[in-house]
Amino acid sequence: MAHPSQLGFQDAASPVMEELLHFHDHALMIVFLISTLVLYIIVAMVTTKLTNKFILDSQEIEIIWTLLPAIILILIALPSLRILYLMDEINDPHLTIKAMGHQWYWSYEYTDYEDLGFDSYMVPTQDLTPGQFRLLETDHRMVIPVESPIRVLVSAEDVLHSWAVPSLGVKMDAVPGRLNQTAFITSRPGVFYGQCSEICGANHSFMPIVVEAVPLEHFENWSFIMLQDA
Amino acid sequence: MLVTIRKQLRNHPALIPLFFFIGGGAAMSMLYLARLGLRNPDVSWDRKNNPEPWNKLGPTDQYKFFAVNMDYSKLKKDRPDF
Repeated sequence: MAHPSQLGFQDAASPVMEELLHFHDHALMIVFLISTLVLYIIVAMVTTKLTNKFILDSQEIEIIWTLLPAIILILIALPSLRILYLMDEINDPHLTIKAMGHQWYWSYEYTDYEDLGFDSYMVPTQDLTPGQFRLLETDHRMVIPVESPIRVLVSAEDVLHSWAVPSLGVKMDAVPGRLNQTAFITSRPGVFYGQCSEICGANHSFMPIVVEAVPLEHFENWSFIMLQDA
Repeated sequence: MLVTIRKQLRNHPALIPLFFFIGGGAAMSMLYLARLGLRNPDVSWDRKNNPEPWNKLGPTDQYKFFAVNMDYSKLKKDRPDF
């Protein structure tokens, strides 16, 4: 989850999010360099003692300041397109989970082997136990096996919602009547938080998503217990 | 018109990179649009002979322009025939 007053991305928990972090670092460095250069030029222009500043012509500098930005843009576009195509690849998922958005909770269905389904409501602030995060915790978490490719089919039962987990680099709109697919792999075990990302009514800010990645054995025990409780 | 352009370019050679990059960008966009129109299995031009090309997808075909990590030739078909 995000730390208080955090400005940057959360730590990556999936390989795709790591790629996005590195690309962001690359693009931001370019942006900082260009901004610093422009600021310097502005200050130099404003404080110069030269008098003949306005009718100048030079082919060489025109070539340079056409070529250099074009090269910079290509250097940004190539990694960007690479990540774009990487994000669309779905490598043989081990598990498919359906995440259905309702007003105002998520429901998860694990129907690959048995019929497991449950709702995931936010824990109200007055019911939080010490150590839990306000507006982020849910009563049932979406438990998945760690380091396994997971496919999530996202849809909605009433209005638009969006299933997003920033540390996994995943966001997919939940559209009623439409099935959207996204996939990810968690690189490490842990608990990853997200929030509904499409305005859906009064409690849009109060339907969070919690993904818990555990070793396969724990996942099997958990699903056995959940099936019995249902 | 080309003669005028050539004359102006001789006096202002700085415009040559401009033509190159803008022309190249426009050409690449048009080529990609053409690729999408002709090769994308979601597009059907001939409604009589090829009405639903999205039903003819094979497991080893690559439909995206660029494959980063996937070796599509290794995939098997594990779905029932339509």
